[in-house]
Amino acid sequence: MDLPVQILNSLNYILVLILVAMGLAIIFGLMRVINMAHGEFFLLGAYTVVLTDQAGLGFWLGLLLAPILVGGIGMVIEYICIRHLYRRFLDTILATWGLSIAIKQLIIIVFGPAGLMIKPPLPQMVSFMGIEYPSYRLFIMAVALVTIGLTFYIFLKTDFGLGARAVIDNRDMAAVLGINTRKMYRTTFTFGSALAGLAGAVMAPLMSCDPQMGLGFFIPAFLAILTGGTGTLAGVLVGGGAVGGADSLISFLYSPVVSQIVVFSMVIVVIRIRPQGLLGTKSGR
Amino acid sequence: MKPSRFHRLVLRLVVLLIFALFPLTGNDYLTVQLTQYTVYGIFAMSLSLLWGYAGILCFGHAIFFGVGAYVMALITKGMVPGFTGFLTSTWVGLVLAVLSVAFFALVLGYFLFYGRLSGPYLGIVTLAISVILERVAVNWYYIGGFNGLTEVPALNFFGWEVRELHALFYFILAVALGLYLFCDRLMRSPLGTTMAAIRDNETRAEFFGYNSANYKILIFCIGGSVAGLAGALFATVTEFVSPTIIGFGFSTEVLIWVALGGKEVLLASFLGAVVVRILEAFLSDLLTYYWIMILGLFFVVSVMFFPRGIFGSLLSDRK
Repeated sequence: MDLPVQILNSLNYILVLILVAMGLAIIFGLMRVINMAHGEFFLLGAYTVVLTDQAGLGFWLGLLLAPILVGGIGMVIEYICIRHLYRRFLDTILATWGLSIAIKQLIIIVFGPAGLMIKPPLPQMVSFMGIEYPSYRLFIMAVALVTIGLTFYIFLKTDFGLGARAVIDNRDMAAVLGINTRKMYRTTFTFGSALAGLAGAVMAPLMSCDPQMGLGFFIPAFLAILTGGTGTLAGVLVGGGAVGGADSLISFLYSPVVSQIVVFSMVIVVIRIRPQGLLGTKSGR
Repeated sequence: MKPSRFHRLVLRLVVLLIFALFPLTGNDYLTVQLTQYTVYGIFAMSLSLLWGYAGILCFGHAIFFGVGAYVMALITKGMVPGFTGFLTSTWVGLVLAVLSVAFFALVLGYFLFYGRLSGPYLGIVTLAISVILERVAVNWYYIGGFNGLTEVPALNFFGWEVRELHALFYFILAVALGLYLFCDRLMRSPLGTTMAAIRDNETRAEFFGYNSANYKILIFCIGGSVAGLAGALFATVTEFVSPTIIGFGFSTEVLIWVALGGKEVLLASFLGAVVVRILEAFLSDLLTYYWIMILGLFFVVSVMFFPRGIFGSLLSDRK
């Protein structure tokens, strides 16, 4: 594999990682909930696609369905469980962890523990600038870029985004000024879940879907947030770029195990030097 | 109702008695199982020390257990270069297992606690470490790779090989009792009070002049060492180590045991581990794959409605 292809692959990975990390960061920023089941939402998104593929309905319907379905599941989970734990910060991560175990096991019961492949939806190669590149990967990048752009637009330009940023900055003050924080929480959790579901769905054709794949994205996504800093969406971009880029580059040069160790050590050193993350300003941890 | 001191003492003695008398039932299979569960119980106590008493939520606690187990296995199997003769004995194995885990916890704690990580951040960073270490163990062929190391020698003190199942059971039980008394005493000491202060209000504790990071590193080392010792014992009891005991899944399990049992009480955590394992032994055959799902959901319910655990309220001396 030559270098330009590798760079594109890295970019691909970075964008999907940002998609996952963004959902996590929004939920955390707004609700102070670390959603340990986020990786499992990714998983559910991927298996939605597997399901429609197996049912003969094709990949595209699954791609459309995944964010809706996973968003819905997120909303239900928020209603049944998370809602009752807002005042108990640490307990939410335990509860969502329990959920993640249950969801993962449910997937194993329904689909079995083995990896499942689905038919490549866009098998053609595209050639440009003298290299051949799978068109599906370009499609992923486009989807991720559009979604990331849309999220930024929602948070920076709309009324909802204004309210959301107000809640992130000072939740009590926002509540006093008449923002319905409860409703905001539910919307946010649904939205964050849907992002993870979408990320899972677009990634499904590229990897073999197995019940552990969620964790493989959750941990780097979390490290990306730690590196970039919480509180701003831009931090997620920087963190995702740094973690995702280093991870895929070192995997390419050495091996995935070495890259995990190196990336993790890097993150530890970063948070030792800058506990608030590269872009973070608040000491909100 | 707040249980009286006497009440609590009686409860503790009853638990000890049940354990001590269990082999008399003559069920050797369960005695062997219970030996292993007692080791898990020690492991659970070490997490309770960190999480319940010091407020350090460690999602990757199996790293200490696993490192302890691997060090013990490598040393007693004579696989560490330059370690021959006496240096492959149980004594050296146990001491080095504990020391290396303590050192590991020291280095890790320095980065984590001076990085001002706490709460969920700390939890997930330790989780990431355990995932990585598991992968390292799987890919490192010298330490057995995916298959792990088998035929770890049994405990051997002055030529007395602790292999007979009753002897082993009582030996492990005695170690568990000793560690319980040690941890319990530790948490009643001034150090324990300081840890509780840091757990309840870190800023205030710092204003009183306590360097909270140093205290956290200290308790991290102690908790880690106990977990490492449990790991070392585990390696000799089961005569087997594999990457699963250092990884994510096992870290999850111990957290569930401790949360279900009751993180704020050492004995409750211990019982949480033993009881969940016993239930698992019976129910996982019956429920197969559904067992883990039910356990996960039960965990959610217990976090929501019984934050102090099942045995926690029963055995606690705090209101």
